[in-house]
Order: sequence, then structure tokens, then C-alpha cells
Amino acid sequence: MPKGEIVDRVVRYVVSEIVADPGAVEVTVVEQGPSEVVAEVHTAKSDMGRVIGRRGRVARAIRVVAQAAADEEGLTAGVEFID
Amino acid sequence: MEWVEVRAKTVELAVEAGMQELGIEDRERVEIEILQEPERGFLGIGGKEAVVRVKPRPAKKRRRRKRSKERRGQGAKGKANSGGSREQRREDDQAREGRRDEKKQAERPREERKVEPTTTAAQEPDLEAMAKVVGEFLEGLLAAFGLEGEVEVGVEEDTIVADIRGEQTQALVGPRGTVREAIHELAKTVLQRKTQHSARLRLDIAGYAERRRQALTIYANQLIDQVLEDGGELMLEPMSASDRKVIHDAVAAREGVRSYSEGEAPRRYVVISKIEQPTEEAAPEDSAAVEEGSDPDTEAAP
Repeated sequence: MPKGEIVDRVVRYVVSEIVADPGAVEVTVVEQGPSEVVAEVHTAKSDMGRVIGRRGRVARAIRVVAQAAADEEGLTAGVEFID
Repeated sequence: MEWVEVRAKTVELAVEAGMQELGIEDRERVEIEILQEPERGFLGIGGKEAVVRVKPRPAKKRRRRKRSKERRGQGAKGKANSGGSREQRREDDQAREGRRDEKKQAERPREERKVEPTTTAAQEPDLEAMAKVVGEFLEGLLAAFGLEGEVEVGVEEDTIVADIRGEQTQALVGPRGTVREAIHELAKTVLQRKTQHSARLRLDIAGYAERRRQALTIYANQLIDQVLEDGGELMLEPMSASDRKVIHDAVAAREGVRSYSEGEAPRRYVVISKIEQPTEEAAPEDSAAVEEGSDPDTEAAP
């Protein structure tokens, strides 16, 4: 299993559920170190606000859930939203 | 609990926090009283927070009065958005999203905000269908995690109740329930996105919420006993909205005490207060007793 696969799956799933245009969602999991990954999330420009949410609430929730996914693999995970 | 009084940077934020506190999603179902409009200080120094009182609105009431208040709230929101950047600087880890979010709000067409409160009476959302949406989202989440477990959803009165069970689902609770809270937030976001409606959602994972509710209720009742005995007020430690709701419910079930919340999330906390019985001759003493009890430092909870 490639490193960060669960993180990839979970982040991809959650983001796709939230956006209006799931087809435009791209998630790339980048290794940052031996036990650290970062999930880079791209969405349609018009969806960025949905993914971030009021006062960053949704983005924060996605980060927490991504870390829970990383815990399953003994990793640390960050999430970056890139537009 | 009759109403909550909320302080925040803006009227909009205060109302939002108050609604969350009451567990009411629908703007139409609360009455909002603006006690103080926010004022910006000079160069970010000084200034006043917005203070609003949010109260559940009994079903089916005229909209006439509310409208003007809504407009006031929106006007204040625009004013406060620019002041919001100060708040963001403090919460540095969300600074980036926060700013973007703000921009997003400014770009958002006005109608979108107005439609929500005015259409609810016409089309009642189908809670069963909404529960199904939540259930599907949670099942998909379990699958994405690769965890085995069962998802059960239902409707209790005005609340969608979702339960994730199974030994492995403990992983979705997280330290102090943080992951469960995040999933709750995401489920509500998905619900709003897919159905254009909000509803109260109670989410339990691996029995965590139920255990916590029981423990908190016992704790609250101990504090209530203490307040009834000693009088005055008791300030609790900061809690999440759902935890505060448990405390408010416990207080509401008892005679002689009331509760309200103060502070801003995530440092928002509940205050339990003894209701002093006003008798004719004891009236002046009453206010003295309240003042004494409201000292937060001497009455701080463990």
C-alpha cells in the first residue's frame, strides 16, 4: 500500500462530497518525510469557499479527519488547499 | 433555557453562535434582539463587541418584525467584516482560509442569504430523505477509511440521529471526540450542500457521545446542586457547542437555576446561575447577591 493511501482516499472522498463539481477535484499526497504526508487539494475555483467554509470550519474539519486517516497508517498528515 | 446572550465581533457571528448554542439551524426559527452593535476601535484598539440575544421562535409567527432586524444584522456584518482581519491574525493556523472565506462571502450574491430564511415555511424539508443523505455520506466515509462498522440513521422529532457502530469505529472518535466533532461538521456541510437544507444532527460514534452525555449530565447536576446551595453563579470550563447543550438541558430540567453562555468559541463556556426569588422586601438584597456571585475568578469551576 503506498504511503498515505488512506489519507488520499478519505480527503478525496470528503472533498468530492462537499463540492458542486467533484470532477474538478484533484488530490495529490506528497511525502514530506519518513512519516509525514501532505494532501494537496485542488478544486474548481467556485468550490474553494465550500471546502474552506465559514471561518475555515470545514477546512479545519477536513484536516482533523485527514489526520485520523493518517493515524491508521502511523503517519502525520497535513492538508493544503491550493487554488 | 429561554434564550442565550452572545457576544462576538459582529452581529452576524454572534447570531450564528447563538443559534448553534440553541441547536437551531434555521434563521426563521429564532428571534434576534440586538443589545449592542459592534463598534470598531481606533486602529484596532478599543471598540465594542456585538451583543445579541437569541431566542427560539415559537413555530408560525409573523415575519414582519424580524425583517427589519435582519436588515440591521446584515448592515452590521459588512461593517465588521473589515474588522474581522484582526481576529484572524490571532488564529494564525486558520488565517489563510479565514481571509479567503471572508472574500468569498463578500462575493456571494446577496439573494442567497435572503432566500434561506424566507422560504422555509413554504417547503418543509423532508427529514427522512435528509437522514438518508447523512447515512450515505457516513457509509462512504467508513469505506474510505477502510473500517468495518454499521451506520444507522433515523429521525427523532426535528433531529437527524446518526449512529456509527463497530469496534473499529473508535478510530473515528479521536482524542476527546475531536474526530467525531469534525465528522459532525462535515456531515452537516454535505447535508446543506446536497439538500439545500439544514437540520439538527446528532451523531454518535462507537457510543462516545452517549457516554459523554451521561458523564456531563452527572457533572452538571453536581454543579447545579452546588449553585442551589451556595447561590450566585458558577462558570464552567470552555466546551464545544454540543457539550454546552448537554449542560443547558441538564439545567433546564432543574428548578431554581438557569444557564447561559459567554465568550467566543472555542473558549465559550456555560454559566450556571441561581434564580433568586424576588420577594417584596428582599428586592434590594437580591441584586447584591447576584453581583457577589458573578465574580468569575472566585467561582471558577475545576
